[in-house]
Amino acid sequence: MEAEEFLLVRDMFRSFATRFRASSADVKPATRAAAQEALGELGLGELRRTSPPAATVQECALLAEEHGKQPLTTSLIGTALLAPELLRLLGDDAPDEVPPVHGTTPTIALARDLRFPDFPRSHPGELVAWDCEGADGALCVTSDGSVTGVGLGPPSPSADLLRGIRSVPPGSPSHALGRLDPAALRHWQAYALVIVSSELVGAAASFVRQSVEYARDRRQYGREIGSFQAVQHLLADATVLVEACTSATRYAAWCLDNEPPGTALKAARVAKAEVNDSALEVVRTGMQVFGGIAQTWEHDAHLYLRKVLTGAMTLATTADLLTTLAEPEAVR
Amino acid sequence: MTDTPLDFGDPADLDQLRGRFRAWLADHPLPQRQPDEPVPVFLRRWHRLLHSGGWVGLDVPRQYGGQGLTALHQVAISDELGACRAPGIPRIGYLAHALLEFGSEEQRGRLLPRMLAGEDVWCQGFSEPGAGSDLAGMTTFAERHEGHYTVRGQKLWTSYAQYSGLCLLLARTDRSLPPHKSISAFILPLDRPGVTVRPLRAANGDDEFCELFLDDVRIEDAERIGAEGDGWPLAMTTVSYERNALDTGHISTYGLLVERLRRSAHDRRGELPDGLLSEIGRCVVDYEVLVAHARRRTAERRGGQVAGPESSVDKLLMTRTEQRLYETALKVFPEEVFGEGGGLFGDYLYSRAASVYGGTSQIQRNIIAKRILRLPSGG
Ligand SMILES: Cc1cc2nc3c(=O)[nH]c(=O)nc-3n(C[C@H](O)[C@H](O)[C@H](O)COP(=O)(O)OP(=O)(O)OC[C@H]3O[C@@H](n4cnc5c(N)ncnc54)[C@H](O)[C@@H]3O)c2cc1C
Repeated sequence: MEAEEFLLVRDMFRSFATRFRASSADVKPATRAAAQEALGELGLGELRRTSPPAATVQECALLAEEHGKQPLTTSLIGTALLAPELLRLLGDDAPDEVPPVHGTTPTIALARDLRFPDFPRSHPGELVAWDCEGADGALCVTSDGSVTGVGLGPPSPSADLLRGIRSVPPGSPSHALGRLDPAALRHWQAYALVIVSSELVGAAASFVRQSVEYARDRRQYGREIGSFQAVQHLLADATVLVEACTSATRYAAWCLDNEPPGTALKAARVAKAEVNDSALEVVRTGMQVFGGIAQTWEHDAHLYLRKVLTGAMTLATTADLLTTLAEPEAVR
Repeated sequence: MTDTPLDFGDPADLDQLRGRFRAWLADHPLPQRQPDEPVPVFLRRWHRLLHSGGWVGLDVPRQYGGQGLTALHQVAISDELGACRAPGIPRIGYLAHALLEFGSEEQRGRLLPRMLAGEDVWCQGFSEPGAGSDLAGMTTFAERHEGHYTVRGQKLWTSYAQYSGLCLLLARTDRSLPPHKSISAFILPLDRPGVTVRPLRAANGDDEFCELFLDDVRIEDAERIGAEGDGWPLAMTTVSYERNALDTGHISTYGLLVERLRRSAHDRRGELPDGLLSEIGRCVVDYEVLVAHARRRTAERRGGQVAGPESSVDKLLMTRTEQRLYETALKVFPEEVFGEGGGLFGDYLYSRAASVYGGTSQIQRNIIAKRILRLPSGG
């Protein structure tokens, strides 16, 4: 995208996000549906659907960051950024008979613990469809690169109150859509890690910003709490972590646009490992700065905590990534 | 913080540069450090060799002896050096920036090419016994006369002064004005009468830093950098670049140790104590994040932006990487603790200084809180 065009898209998205941000943890289904419909009207699902894609990975990652900044119930990540990329990667392999089992607006399916599914695809009952708002099916990529379309079951409870997760009915019809070659599989994994990480970076950055604003206003002992060095240092440390996460994810996104998939996958794993730990640390710190108010149901803090906590388990956990990264690369 | 796409550079262009550098390295084997050769002396030989190939000051304008390229190019060379286990790029970037920004045309033209070539070795005379974190509290005084100054005072922690010819010196030039307006910067040749350099032994046994005694040392007007009172902004520029992730040779050194840990993890698979593999993974993450962070800073700075308070973020990230890395390395190679000293254990001890030199970690947090987050100042 041209720089100006991107700014237009981003600003359009920002107005959408401000308008549809959840005002509490209890969002009515009709409100969720209206928000998703408004998101659909922005047409962001087209950004990665065509070859060559209309937007770079870096641009999509920045939109994912924006999505993380506000408590939103919409599925930007699953239905607009991830699934279309997968269909694009499948290229001519994707059959276009309508309506396929994965629906017309698929999201992605993950293992029940939200990690990348890496068991044989003969057990679709072990899957959940992730980020389901507005989705009518899901796509599953297994570790051998095969891609299957699956149907959606009932909602499945999760700590993240904003993100829709649904079970994949055991024994539901699933059908093979094709297979990613090893390079495309690496690209897919890297892309998914980067987009999911980016959303968490947006959430962490936004939550720090809110706690900094709070520290400027809230007074105790006759002065702003943000003037206490102990509070300042908490917020400074949180800022460093946000910057670390930002650098790692932006660089990994850029690698996907410019470097071979192996390089991009390593950068993406690094980014997710940093974000898993640091975004969570940042949210905990911000909650400490907010004091008691952040412990209430009404306050946004727990929405951020829930999103980041489950986000840190999504696709790949820190434990998965650190042991993988500790091994020397095969080719150097 | 930018929230638009970044340009991390054209991989093809950088690959070409890397290719040329590798070819040069193939023809110019790394010098070996002689027995008893002090590290700074060895590094200076290396500096001169690198400069002879045109690999120092890639981002400095050509008229001052550089190559007129970008920081990205310099970082690419740093990466290559790391990959072949060579010592890093000489750490002169922050001094070069001070001169570029505050020096007169004459000073820039005369001093920068010599600095880049390793002909002049510089040290940094900022800290004093009573002025560490509170640098503005310095008391070294330069008294003005017709055409020159006489300087009295004492500096402390002046790294490598005993191997240096020139010192970037800060001294107060007015006792009536507040500190931030009354500090000036000077170029002090260390062989001047009245200068005494006394090395101090560091915890790891190295003689890195020195005390510097200045007894009525004469400094000429022409040796002042910028106007009287420019010393404070100059110091802030210098430390910003010094803290900056791009401007230190550290990153490639970290990369070498990280690779050593990974290889050891591979070779001793199954033997490493529980949890250590993850700790090694964490060091890989820290290091790669730091590299990505340095690249992002370069990308952001390509528009000619100068280093500012965000370099405190860089410094804290660098400190995190270095300190966790050496902590882990001692766990992976515990025999180093019982060795002769020096080597890895010496480096471990030096890593403790990372949260002190160039401004302590607490001072970096203060800077982030006040100048980036704009939090209110309190009692
Ligand atoms: C290896 C090494 C090399 C060095 N090289 C040089 C050099 O080449 N040139 C040079 O000029 N200097 C050099 N220094 C000096 C360095 O910049 C100072 O040591 C540093 O700024 C800290 O000053 P200080 O040692 O006086 O500690 P102090 O300022 O006395 O600090 C002591 C403790 O108090 C804390 N503290 C102080 N003020 C505050 C505050 N406002 N808020 C919170 N905490 C605070 C500090 O964080 C620290 O923990 C070097 C130091 C080292 C260790």
